Amino acid sequence: MNAIPLCKRLLPLVCSALSFALLSWPNATAAQDSFYKGRTIRIVVGLSTGGGYDRAARLLARYMGKYIPGNPDIIVQNMPGAGSVVAANYVFSVAKPDGLTLLMPHNNVYLSQLSGDKEVKFDLLKMYWIGSLDKDDMMLFIRSDAPHKTMKDVVQAKEPPKCGTTGVGGSDYVVSRILEETTGAKINTVVGYPGSSEIAIAVERGEVQCQGLTIQTFFGREPFLSWVKTNFVRFLAQTGRKRDPRVNGPTIFELMDEYKTPTTKRRLAEAMLSGGEWARPMLVGPGTPQERVQILRDAYDKTSKDPELLAEAKKLRMDVQAGKGAELQAMAKDAMNQPPEVIEQIKKLFVQQ
Amino acid sequence: MIEAFTSGFWQVLAWPAFGYLLLGIGIGFWVGLLPGIGGLATLALMLPFSYTIKTPIEAFCFLLGMLAVTGTTGDLTSILFGIPGESSSAALILDGYPMSKKGEAGRALGAAIMSSLIGATIGALTLAISIPIMRPLVLLFGSPELFIITIMGITFIGTLAGASLIKGLLAGGIGLMLAAIGVDPQTGSLRYTFGSLYLWDGLDVTPVVVGMFAIPEIIDLAVRGTAISQAPKEKLKGVMEGVKDTFRHFWLVVRCSLIGVYFGVLPVLGANVAQWIAYGHAARSLKDKSRAGKGAVEGVLGPGAANNSTRGGDLIPTIAFGIPGSASMALLLGALLIVGLQPGPEMLKSRLDVTFAMVWILIISNIIVAGISFLILNHLAALTFIRGSLLIPFLLVLVFIGSFTANNSIYDLVVTLIFGTLGYLMLLNGWPRPPLVLGLILGKIGENYLWISTAAYGAKWLAFPSVLILIAITISIVAYPTIKERRGRAKYDRPEDAV
Repeated sequence: MNAIPLCKRLLPLVCSALSFALLSWPNATAAQDSFYKGRTIRIVVGLSTGGGYDRAARLLARYMGKYIPGNPDIIVQNMPGAGSVVAANYVFSVAKPDGLTLLMPHNNVYLSQLSGDKEVKFDLLKMYWIGSLDKDDMMLFIRSDAPHKTMKDVVQAKEPPKCGTTGVGGSDYVVSRILEETTGAKINTVVGYPGSSEIAIAVERGEVQCQGLTIQTFFGREPFLSWVKTNFVRFLAQTGRKRDPRVNGPTIFELMDEYKTPTTKRRLAEAMLSGGEWARPMLVGPGTPQERVQILRDAYDKTSKDPELLAEAKKLRMDVQAGKGAELQAMAKDAMNQPPEVIEQIKKLFVQQ
Repeated sequence: MIEAFTSGFWQVLAWPAFGYLLLGIGIGFWVGLLPGIGGLATLALMLPFSYTIKTPIEAFCFLLGMLAVTGTTGDLTSILFGIPGESSSAALILDGYPMSKKGEAGRALGAAIMSSLIGATIGALTLAISIPIMRPLVLLFGSPELFIITIMGITFIGTLAGASLIKGLLAGGIGLMLAAIGVDPQTGSLRYTFGSLYLWDGLDVTPVVVGMFAIPEIIDLAVRGTAISQAPKEKLKGVMEGVKDTFRHFWLVVRCSLIGVYFGVLPVLGANVAQWIAYGHAARSLKDKSRAGKGAVEGVLGPGAANNSTRGGDLIPTIAFGIPGSASMALLLGALLIVGLQPGPEMLKSRLDVTFAMVWILIISNIIVAGISFLILNHLAALTFIRGSLLIPFLLVLVFIGSFTANNSIYDLVVTLIFGTLGYLMLLNGWPRPPLVLGLILGKIGENYLWISTAAYGAKWLAFPSVLILIAITISIVAYPTIKERRGRAKYDRPEDAV
């Protein structure tokens, strides 16, 4: 007697259950869809507002949401300090590993971990690498009127060239120190400039002769663009595995062959330069559910190919050479698996006691 | 050139550029008033919105207009409540807040607005005039000169009239020592960090300044139990009085504006330093030295003009070399790139009108904000007559939000409290606070440039003519007031002069 009303009552329930099963069956991410829907992802940037990392994070934040099921909002939070160690510590041990907090640290933060810094409370190898936006290959250039025309001149020079750098641990500092270690050259590193722009002025004034810089910055900005036109500087070396066609100078790897660098120093150079492979990296904390890591990796991959993002990056003179999360994870593992003698050397070059 | 000059003007006034300018001014107005939210952070947030704007001048109306007014409205908060609205407005507290206490808030606000307007105009005009000589101007100063300038700055503030010479220089020295906290860039070793990651990057200036200046005033307000203004309401001197003050001391305002422009051109220094130097200059120019820090209008006019004129100076290296003179200029540079312009010698040839448009934006936005401000100044001044107990919770919130935004760290608040206590003790015992703050700002810069000079030139830099001249100026800064004082005393030693 109650059969019909009961049927009526059950029908919507059955229908919805059926439709749910149907919809979710072919698409495993539907559960995750409901996870990210209406939530907010936070990118914790380990550097201050307005810099290159901050701009890259904000660029990603504007496009990445549309490639994550549920289209979450993405916001950027700056947590500068101690070369991104503060931010990495936070995401590793304080933030919930729920895939809602992403870390964008300085690419050289791995060196702090590698050199056994006691303030480091994170392990980059236990975190999940989501992707990276660029490669930061560097180069060393020198004023054309300096007596040193090539690295060979520098090695043989009585008076070493003066190179302006920002500080111990800065990429520009690391480049000249690695060249010294691998070729036996002597470079007078003048430390303490506030930034690469101030070093450029110092080069122009003749206060220093040489400077280490990312290749991308050099070919993207004044006064370097004018320098290229007037042949104001020449290139001594570059750090990529392969030569950048714009830079007329040998790679460190070529130089290491030429100067028969011993194995330990070679490993040192490779370890310290591998950060160039993952500029603007993004990671999530250990224990983040696998499927969310996958969603984020896929989204990052798609975002870095988004035509609108690429157009905007081009206008901003930001190169995009994205790295895939899984590959970066393997690369980081290689870079950070070093014998004790190499680690000793790294401590010497990247010391923060 | 003239053509580009007028073309720049009309392009700023054209629609929709002018609309963007108004929008920028509206945002910048509030950003300046509220402590903690600085012009730099706002610029970073607003930058993406400018990507949709098509022409460079329209984008700059929005961004530069916003940045230009933060310096002006930041001054207002400093004067009204003794809390710096922007970090570049802290020096206005020294005489501006005592004016509010005397019931002269309206006059101080009027003076701040008018001197800001003149400062901004002078900064902008210097930018326009210096276009042909920009490059030598920027290349004039190398690391040795910059090092001596930092020492000169601390000496200048340390020997301010009114305070004891020894106490002033000692406070500057303490500031220098505080600047040593953090990772040493030369060797990478940690100094005075006591195992705290927060101290790795050194003390942030914002929580220190907010603590040192705002906390003692809030304690004072609580102890007094009155309104900020101790004078009865009917004595409220009008805003126009302040405007007149600006013209009474016109040449002081001009000189302080030029100080601001100059510090804007120099790398790293900028408005945060320029305001103190300008304040020092204004305080020295007082005939009756004892008025300094007790509500002398000159102490408002000097830094008010200087922190606005730095914007023009700041733009000079950005435009001449494509090298940003400060963090906010680095962001503006990004905006230029987005609209397809590459600042540098090339842009000066091909798009001179854009450079002149920037000049006009600086001037026009300050005229507009001055106009808006004058409409509401008397209402703002009325806030200083509200009972202190009602204001204090509100002020404390502003103070702590202002400090917290420096690093988004709880330790920012700890630093504020520590330096609040220190500031209160210094105030009680007659120790000047500005030298300590300036020592902290300049310490790291000075240390770096000393190292660079020595690494690049050995000891030879000490004999550079430019360095010798700057050292001579520094010595005369210390010696002059002492000699003058002795002479003055000597005069009175002879009985016939005393009559």
